[in-house]
Amino acid sequence: MSLPLTLAVHRHSDAKLDDTKISNFLTPERVEVHWQMSSKKRLLESIALLLTKGNVGLDKKTIFQILTERERLGSTGIGKGVALPHGRVNSLDQVIGAFAVLDSPLDYEAVDKQPVNLVFALLVPAEANEEHLRILAHLAKLFNDSGLRKKLKTTRSAEEAYRILADWQF
Amino acid sequence: MKIIILGAGQVGASSAEILAGEANDITLIDLDDRYLRKLQDRMDIRTLVGNASSPTVLEEAGAEDADLLLAVTNSDEINMVACQVAACKFATPTKIARIRANDYLRCEELFGPDGLPIDVIISPEEVVTEHILRLIEYPGALQVLDFANGRIQLVGVHAYHGGPLVGHPLAELRQHMPKIDARVAAIFRKNNVLTPKADTVIEAGDEVFFVAAKQHIRNVMSEMRRMDERVTRVMLAGGGNIGFRLSRELEGQNYNVKVIESDFRRAEQIADGLDHTVILHGDAADEELLHQENIENMDIFCAVTNSDEANILSAMLAKKLGARRVMALINRSVYVDLLEHGEIDIVISPRTATVGSILAHIRRGDVVAVHSIRRGAAEAIEAVAHGDKSTSRVVGRGVRDLPLPPGTGIGAILRDGQVLIAHKDTVIQPEDHVILFMVDKRHIQDVEKLFQVDVTYI
Repeated sequence: MSLPLTLAVHRHSDAKLDDTKISNFLTPERVEVHWQMSSKKRLLESIALLLTKGNVGLDKKTIFQILTERERLGSTGIGKGVALPHGRVNSLDQVIGAFAVLDSPLDYEAVDKQPVNLVFALLVPAEANEEHLRILAHLAKLFNDSGLRKKLKTTRSAEEAYRILADWQF
Repeated sequence: MKIIILGAGQVGASSAEILAGEANDITLIDLDDRYLRKLQDRMDIRTLVGNASSPTVLEEAGAEDADLLLAVTNSDEINMVACQVAACKFATPTKIARIRANDYLRCEELFGPDGLPIDVIISPEEVVTEHILRLIEYPGALQVLDFANGRIQLVGVHAYHGGPLVGHPLAELRQHMPKIDARVAAIFRKNNVLTPKADTVIEAGDEVFFVAAKQHIRNVMSEMRRMDERVTRVMLAGGGNIGFRLSRELEGQNYNVKVIESDFRRAEQIADGLDHTVILHGDAADEELLHQENIENMDIFCAVTNSDEANILSAMLAKKLGARRVMALINRSVYVDLLEHGEIDIVISPRTATVGSILAHIRRGDVVAVHSIRRGAAEAIEAVAHGDKSTSRVVGRGVRDLPLPPGTGIGAILRDGQVLIAHKDTVIQPEDHVILFMVDKRHIQDVEKLFQVDVTYI
């Protein structure tokens, strides 16, 4: 299931109340900075591990497989150094997010061929619905803000990175 | 993609060469330093000398970062262990191994959920046997390639005087066969390739490639040439693994099969495993023996011993003595080139067949099958369309509106188990298996990209 980003955002702005908050699906323990990664494969492995934190009842191997399969259908590198790896998980009943900042940019076969250093991973329940698309669209919009990207890239601690994201108003 | 290839033999080296040309990062491991040095001189790859299944060697080769492991050393055991190491130690997402020994291949549990972590098993003998079987099934075909699990086939055929469509424009195909739908994908005429149009006139000598549902292939072929009589009698030279597999399949389909095997014990051994096949102990290049066994009545003579030279000689002799159509299995690519368009009707290169089936698993996007045509000059692929109009660049669009690279055409579509021949206004739907033909294989990456989904696809 899918919606174009523009359409999703547009629909959303029609809604009166905004109930989408990053803190609904991201916790401080699933944010890390200063990652050193030598390949996309290892990055996906690490982000899979990060997604297991906070007792969400998932194992790293399954998540890694799901993320890798999704990448095979098309890269989730959205450009400007940002990637949004994601996938559907059968056993999941809520959205789970994780975020990492890399010290040096990494080749991710992104749409603009630019290496990536900001990675927001998202797992959604198997029955993906419009809400999930909206979250993805929101994240894409968030990372389209060059000031925010810069702040995240230069952030020193995971706490700070989490704060920046949690404070973001959709 | 980061790819580690184990074994710098023919299959390893050919795969490395093709993949290195497609913006991949290749590391090739082999025990033999000389092989590697030779290859490194002409390809942009990294090489490493060492035991291919050793965890230390694999780590040194960058297995932690590799997306794919291709284990094609000469040893089944090393290939299997390497996949196991890659899975346990490095969580390598895709592991492909070549396994030759029937003993292993027959043991299904070995590759089941509790078995070895190998995603794709390539058995060259199985690939080659399948390849030859299809050529026997359609005598006169230069190439028969399966798509959509065999529901759709792409067939190459020489057009001859006497074929009803020869000398006529393609548009008439429809009038000749109103109930049958087929698409001519490409026409090769004296080393030029023509993009078929409704008014293109087929000439005798053209190599015509067309796509149709399996059950229609015979009818379409009969438009290009007077159809040869049905094949009933087949003689095989060589009762090795391929010869044995072929005999078993052919006798199961009620062909009359004779096999010439030079090793007495092997001849006895295969006789035990076959029911109606006649096993002859002798030399396939022995004129006397071929005469005695009525070579002139053979519809097909196929030489599949493990000696290229023996295959060439016996096939040429069989042709001279009156066998209707002769084929030879040839390993050395120099010979394959030399024999093209010679007396031997069809030269089968196990390497090309094997590499083709390997490459199908190393594409980006959801690509199910890739086949090389005319020894790599052109390519045909089966790709699955995912997503919807907003997340896919193909779904929800008519064939005429697709931004296909030059020289690329859509032949057929498998939708919900139904075969559709693509027309200009056919609209691609999600989960369609689309069969594309490209006369220039350099465009394969553009086609892969076209079928990739947008980031908003969940």
